[in-house]
Amino acid sequence: MSESIIPESELEEVELYHPKSWWTEKVFSQDAKLIAIQYGLTAFAIGFVALVLSWFMRIQIAFPEMAIISEGTYYQFITMHGMIMVVYLLTALFLGAFGNYLIPLMVGARDMVFPYLNMVSYWTYLVAVLVLFVSFFTPGGPTGAGWTLYPPQAILGGTPGQETGIVLMLVSLCIFIVGFTMGGLNYVITVLQARTRGMTLMRMPLTVWGIFTATVLALFAFPALFVSAVMMLFDKLLMTSFFMPALVEFGENLSYGGGSPILFQHLFWFFGHPEVYIVALPAFGIVSDLISIHARKNIFGFRMMVWAIVGIGALSFIVWAHHMYVSGMNPYFGFFFATTTLIIAVPTALKVYNWILTLWKGNIHLTIPMLFCLGFIVTFLNGGLTGLFLGNVIVDVPLSDTYFVVAHFHMVMGIAPVLVILGAIYHWYPLITGKMLHDGMGRFHFWITFVGSYLIYFPMHYLGFIGVPRRYYEMGQTEALYTSSAADLNVFITIAALAVGFAQLVFIYNVFWSAKNGKVAEKNPWKSTSLEWQTPEQPPIHGNFGKELPVVYRWAYDYSVPGAEDDFIPQDVPNEKVKLAEGYTELGVEKT
Amino acid sequence: MSIFSILSQKPWTSDQAKIDDKHSGKSSSMPLPRVALYVSMVVMGVLFTLFSVAYIGRMAYGDWRVLPEPPLLWFNSLVILMSSFAFHKATLSLKENNNRRTREYLFLAGALTLGFITGQLFVWRELVSFGYFVSTNPSYAFFYLLTALHILHLIGGLIAWLFVVYKSFTAEDESSNFPLSLNLCAIYWHFLLMVWLILFTMLLLT
Repeated sequence: MSESIIPESELEEVELYHPKSWWTEKVFSQDAKLIAIQYGLTAFAIGFVALVLSWFMRIQIAFPEMAIISEGTYYQFITMHGMIMVVYLLTALFLGAFGNYLIPLMVGARDMVFPYLNMVSYWTYLVAVLVLFVSFFTPGGPTGAGWTLYPPQAILGGTPGQETGIVLMLVSLCIFIVGFTMGGLNYVITVLQARTRGMTLMRMPLTVWGIFTATVLALFAFPALFVSAVMMLFDKLLMTSFFMPALVEFGENLSYGGGSPILFQHLFWFFGHPEVYIVALPAFGIVSDLISIHARKNIFGFRMMVWAIVGIGALSFIVWAHHMYVSGMNPYFGFFFATTTLIIAVPTALKVYNWILTLWKGNIHLTIPMLFCLGFIVTFLNGGLTGLFLGNVIVDVPLSDTYFVVAHFHMVMGIAPVLVILGAIYHWYPLITGKMLHDGMGRFHFWITFVGSYLIYFPMHYLGFIGVPRRYYEMGQTEALYTSSAADLNVFITIAALAVGFAQLVFIYNVFWSAKNGKVAEKNPWKSTSLEWQTPEQPPIHGNFGKELPVVYRWAYDYSVPGAEDDFIPQDVPNEKVKLAEGYTELGVEKT
Repeated sequence: MSIFSILSQKPWTSDQAKIDDKHSGKSSSMPLPRVALYVSMVVMGVLFTLFSVAYIGRMAYGDWRVLPEPPLLWFNSLVILMSSFAFHKATLSLKENNNRRTREYLFLAGALTLGFITGQLFVWRELVSFGYFVSTNPSYAFFYLLTALHILHLIGGLIAWLFVVYKSFTAEDESSNFPLSLNLCAIYWHFLLMVWLILFTMLLLT
């Protein structure tokens, strides 16, 4: 049994910033919770733009005769859709929104350690989003270089957005990275230095572990994107030849010469692959907590879950070149990167086993967050398994430029984390707003999103197998190469995509409708143990925890503890204050 | 406590709970600004390392030309070395409670840093006058890029230096955190000195 003798606090009470006007309270706020909401709303707004772009692309692919958009616009939409979804939506949501909201609350801090820097981080992110968005309205429009922005074509004539779009994209990325770094410093240092008494690192919920490790990855990986963006800006604006080889454009010799496009690819993917885990690790953490809470059972293999998060994070830096098999590389390199790619599947699979074993004999509540978690597990498993195919050089080379890859990464990096984000919003919405989201609309949203996503991406695997190439604006004469079912499937996929899109509109309506008309949430409605639900007020106010910071006496997974009357024991409740079930003299000890 | 011993804890056991209940919640006793500086320096280190890797990677291609080495670079290196040394002397003077001397060294460090930046700009002018433009060869482009990036970091440092100079006038205050600020500023200068020396060595070796 733990003793309740608690040492004097070594943490000085933080002098909280008190806003002096409406502007500093509601707009230029230094409260991490409001900053989180600002991050979330901005990310969703720009993410919605990317979603609408995908509808246009899908309609074009399914009904090419309508020519709803031009070839150039199609490439621009592909590029913007990809970059927005990966960087400006997913990264910003997981780290900026969830990180800001949950880290201080879950570790028992009043706020982030550097609130002013935190505020500047958000506004810098907003500037990055606006710079990117402005490119839609500049001469030539946004860049159509593909989300990987490979040189030399990214900055050459003939590529849409070559005039200003590519410059704005690169500048926007640099601004984003500067903004993220400010936020990232806050997340890491808050976790390390601002935890409340009794909150050891291993007592932190896995959500915090996931966000913390992803932030460390991002602090190491984003500089690679920064380096490549700056060097490409030099190539574009100052005519240097970092990445640009000798070229003839429209019969004219360009002044470039000797540069290496492959160097760009290495730098880009040194960022790009960890980026997958920058998104995935917070999702892993959140889903672990949600499954444990909604199955009323402690997470299976907690330590292994932490090790897997850290191990995946470390391994993610030595697999990057599996994105470059078709660029040509020494076979030994290919062998090395294929091997590391397969090795990273081990800790990842371990997590999947542990989620399933957590569910095993759990008291599973099929709440909406749990439905999204279950959806995540199978989707991530599907996407992960096709990743094992693509991790092998000889399988990747023929499949690389087909819809198989589109299906793979949308399953593993698109749908899977989005399901977690949605589940997390249903879970923490009562904490943020004090209201419950409407259950009926939520279930409709889940089933259409989940089933619809499978209707979109399962057929794409088949399209990839029969060789349908990705990035094509229309199949044209190449249709003769495929069965007619390919065109029919494209129509089917588009209809499914539009249905899933419609379900998201229902979700957005639900979020705004419930904020006003939703059922008032009872305190700690999911009966969770972690600290964010133990605040005196719900939603928590500025400073999070009343007069005194909570003291932590246990890990975050004391669910269905034998001997306890309730099926959960909050982290800030000492053993002496736990109500015992009948027939028990203390936790785990029955009367003899 | 090492990361391995932390990761091997079993937080659900009652034995571990007895230990964990006594935990203050902090991973280190370092003050927050010091942790922030160290984490920032790691990120900056990653940034410069990646530029250096790109530099070495690009060097392997046939069109690479050896960079000229204006003698002024040696002089500039000496200036930034002296600036770092002035910061060191400032921290030593503060330990001896000699505030006037501390402030003098602090001003000297700032002036030498400005001298270094000016010197680097003169090197740029010299290279341009020889026709070595940013687009002439990737080796020149890297030189301009890396030195510019280093100067930008120094300018960031000078902004912090201004705050430290301001604080030096209230150094006698009990509540003043001038000693910590000065110490962190000095560490940052030593870090940027190291970065410059590595970059300079790399430029010399090519």
